[in-house]
Amino acid sequence: MLLGEFEYLMLTAAARLGDKAYGAAIRQEIEDATGAPCSIGALYTTLDRLEGKGLIKTWMGDPTPERGGRPKRMVRVTPKGVDAATSFYSAVRRVSRGVAWAKS
Amino acid sequence: MGEVMTRITWALVDLATQLLDPHERDAVCGDLAECRVSGWRALGEVLGLVLRRQAALWTEWRPWLALMGVVLPIGILLSHASRWWADSTALDMSLYIRIWEWSYLGYPGWRRDLFGIMWSVALNAAALSAWSWTCGYMLASVSRRTVWVTAMAFALVVFLATLGTSTVARITHDNFAGHFYGVVLPRLVRLAFVVLPLLWGIQSHRKSVVRPTMLLVGAAAVIILTVLVSPGLENSLVFGRGSFPDGGPDRTVGTSDDPRPLWPVAVLMLWPTAYILATIMPRRPRRLDAV
Repeated sequence: MLLGEFEYLMLTAAARLGDKAYGAAIRQEIEDATGAPCSIGALYTTLDRLEGKGLIKTWMGDPTPERGGRPKRMVRVTPKGVDAATSFYSAVRRVSRGVAWAKS
Repeated sequence: MGEVMTRITWALVDLATQLLDPHERDAVCGDLAECRVSGWRALGEVLGLVLRRQAALWTEWRPWLALMGVVLPIGILLSHASRWWADSTALDMSLYIRIWEWSYLGYPGWRRDLFGIMWSVALNAAALSAWSWTCGYMLASVSRRTVWVTAMAFALVVFLATLGTSTVARITHDNFAGHFYGVVLPRLVRLAFVVLPLLWGIQSHRKSVVRPTMLLVGAAAVIILTVLVSPGLENSLVFGRGSFPDGGPDRTVGTSDDPRPLWPVAVLMLWPTAYILATIMPRRPRRLDAV
């Protein structure tokens, strides 16, 4: 299964955050990495799509005071998600061999 | 001023999040609070998510059934019926207001005419309300998650479908040159007897407050009302579009020999009622003896 680039970014951000992966944190991680804004619409619809494909699992976490007492949507990458992200990364590396921007 | 604008934008954000599922609403509001974004940006983000969610829902057949099966056909008919009945009421109202004398109530024939008109106005208002209620109930039943979009489309169709058309009453009477009879009264009729009952029907389905027996009684009432007002409904499509119907062999409109080629529109108005009846009928258990 080949991922879309935004799906890959989300899987990678969620994997990096580990137990602290949830909506706002993933969004911040993506914005820091890409330097581009990440909308909540794109974030939540992609989370649903990834969950539908079985690449992540989400559940509602505990409410916290800094969120006005509202819960977080927690995210965990499944083994199938790890496989999909690994395949995507390998494909990017293979296809990038020998091109100017991949030499460094 | 800035404080007021901030409150208004966050109130709009709160309103927009009502269009999301409850669990998603909590997570999104929490994320926005944590990110400390401005009210306008939060509003744009939430509307973006709502649009994406709605677009995904419209890839299924149910919202399209609601739109093509209820909103367009019945919305257009209700738009014509409500305007024609508002115009008919306006003619009677303006006449009675102009000539009113309390002493006239002492004459039996005058009283009979007045009560006849009041009865007709009440029947028309009841029929409009009943049809609109069944439409709201059906919209909520067919596609619960898109119901506010289809309800807004329904209201738009009801208010706009008669744009650019006129009625025989408007062509032949100068009462409608005035703002009240020409513009305000039709809008009030549509608001009170179409939009509000539509919203009531939606809420009745969402909160499941109507028992099946009540629905059965209501359906019977809608059928009786439809039979009673069906000639007026047909007239709303003829007189209500500025033309005169065929008077039949005696060439007089309003007599029993008039042809009624538009009788199927009354049947169309009953289609949401038929749908509601079909949903409350007990389902027969499947036979297992074929195993």
